[in-house]
Amino acid sequence: MKLSTYTLLRRSLSEQQLSLITRFLFGTSLVLIIALSYSYNEINQELVNYSEKVNQTQHVISGLNKLSSAIYETTYHADSYIFLKDTVYINKTLAAIKVVPEITKKIDSLIKDDGAQRKRLNFLKEHAGKFCDYSERLSRPATLINPGAVNALYKRKNEEIASMIKLIGEMNKLEDQLMYTRLQSRDNYMQQVYRYNWIIMLVAVVFLSSAFVLLDRELRRNKFYRVDLENKIENLNRSNSELEQFAYVASHDLQEPLRKIRSFSDRLVAKYKSELSGEVFQMLEKIDNSAQRMQNLISDLLSFSRIVKTGTEAKIINLNTCLSEAKSNLSEVIMENKASIHSESLPSVEGYNSQIVQLFQNLLSNSIKYRHENVRPVIRITHRLVDGEIIPGVKPSHQDIQFHQIKFADNGIGFKKEFADKIFIIFKRLHARNEFAGTGIGLAICKRVVSNHNGYIFAESTEGEGSNFYIYLPTESMLT
Amino acid sequence: MADDDADDRFLVQAAFEDNDLINRIVFFEDGEQLLEYYIAEENQDAPNLIFLDLNMPKRDGREVLRVIRKNTKWDDVPIIIFSTSNAPDDVVASYQLGANCYIVKPSSYEELKDLVLNVHKFWLQPKAISC
Repeated sequence: MKLSTYTLLRRSLSEQQLSLITRFLFGTSLVLIIALSYSYNEINQELVNYSEKVNQTQHVISGLNKLSSAIYETTYHADSYIFLKDTVYINKTLAAIKVVPEITKKIDSLIKDDGAQRKRLNFLKEHAGKFCDYSERLSRPATLINPGAVNALYKRKNEEIASMIKLIGEMNKLEDQLMYTRLQSRDNYMQQVYRYNWIIMLVAVVFLSSAFVLLDRELRRNKFYRVDLENKIENLNRSNSELEQFAYVASHDLQEPLRKIRSFSDRLVAKYKSELSGEVFQMLEKIDNSAQRMQNLISDLLSFSRIVKTGTEAKIINLNTCLSEAKSNLSEVIMENKASIHSESLPSVEGYNSQIVQLFQNLLSNSIKYRHENVRPVIRITHRLVDGEIIPGVKPSHQDIQFHQIKFADNGIGFKKEFADKIFIIFKRLHARNEFAGTGIGLAICKRVVSNHNGYIFAESTEGEGSNFYIYLPTESMLT
Repeated sequence: MADDDADDRFLVQAAFEDNDLINRIVFFEDGEQLLEYYIAEENQDAPNLIFLDLNMPKRDGREVLRVIRKNTKWDDVPIIIFSTSNAPDDVVASYQLGANCYIVKPSSYEELKDLVLNVHKFWLQPKAISC
């Protein structure tokens, strides 16, 4: 017994640990999977960012190219006007000039965050402004009349073009470089992240599969224990019914030799009455008394063993009917002792009728038996509904259920407080046999009946002032 | 009387003697012996009364009761079940099988003596009753 409790304890402990580990594995796997999906989302974002940036760079480069071609176009038209004097080129020059600020504005919007490029663009804008100004002035017919001014303007315009081309080249180179570094950093990032993701995925897979293995093992063990438990319940039921059988057979067979002892000592007395001395007679009487007492004990034991759960089926019984049945069984004793019994209306419960009658009968006869010598016994029976949690020593599963409290209060001799539990123990008595007869089975039967009904019974008393017996029966049926 | 318990056989015999009754009693240790006697040709004389214990070796009281009540031979002989058992099942089953009376073996000799006297008065006095 001790050993099995120990192994049970150890088993449950390690089971708890295992379930903790399983939970940890599942939890961690979940976190890892979340991290993994977050990481892939990040990668995606990064790729989108990168492609946007590459796009931007390409736009800048193409803007710069457009700017170069606009400059060349302007120069071409302006030069054509100067040499050919064809006024058609004036408009063409002016149209080409108009394009330049649009392009620079566009480039400006693309390189907002890049300080170095912006600086260059500002220079470029300055030069472009001057270039446009010179080109525009060169396109005026009035300017063309003065060859000195044309020369000066032409020269300055070309200087501006050289500066612009230089700046555009620098800017182009820078954008190229930018693109290259972006490409590299993207590759680095991806490589690293992919490596981490692989590790995370591997760990998650390992954790998940070990959690699965543990869970599977747990399930198998559970199944094993369930089967084990079922077997144990079956064994318990079997040994219970064997025990009942044993109690019955034993008490039955034990009666036999006692009957013989009594019969023969009886016959001895009957046959040799005249020849026996008083002393022998007394001894034979003692033998008979002892045998009779043992017979009573055994027959009480037999009736105790008969109060078992099995047998008759539980049904709804009216406790008032049970009480009147018990009273009618005891009618002689009640009359003899002039006992009065007052009862409130009692509820109906699900239970075993004969057992409840026995319970009431035992309590009533107990109260009448332990009466004050010169006081008429009065027994008051009251009923009220109580919550399970107020019952001392109630089972945890009974705490939330309502119970019928049925109280038997008498005006008998009572008992000392410390015996309140002992009186329910089989063959336990508080009085000598010559004071009160009996074997001490009555209240033990009461206790057994009440526990057969999933109830509780308690006694309280002040010595000399009567006793109260409390029966608690569940309002919900729990008998199957 | 069929009873496997020698003490009980002795006590019943003694109770008859102490009541000054002179009926002849034939004893059997089990049901089989009684049934052998029942079948044997020379024992055609029916007894006035049969005391039958329920629990006996070889063939028990129930079997004997069943055999006798199924046949016409001895069908008017009163059968008293004389057993230690006071279980309601045994009592009911015995009456169903055709027992005339069910007596639980008393635990004092005085009771037994009175019982034998009563049985004699009721079943064995030739003119008192006719079955």
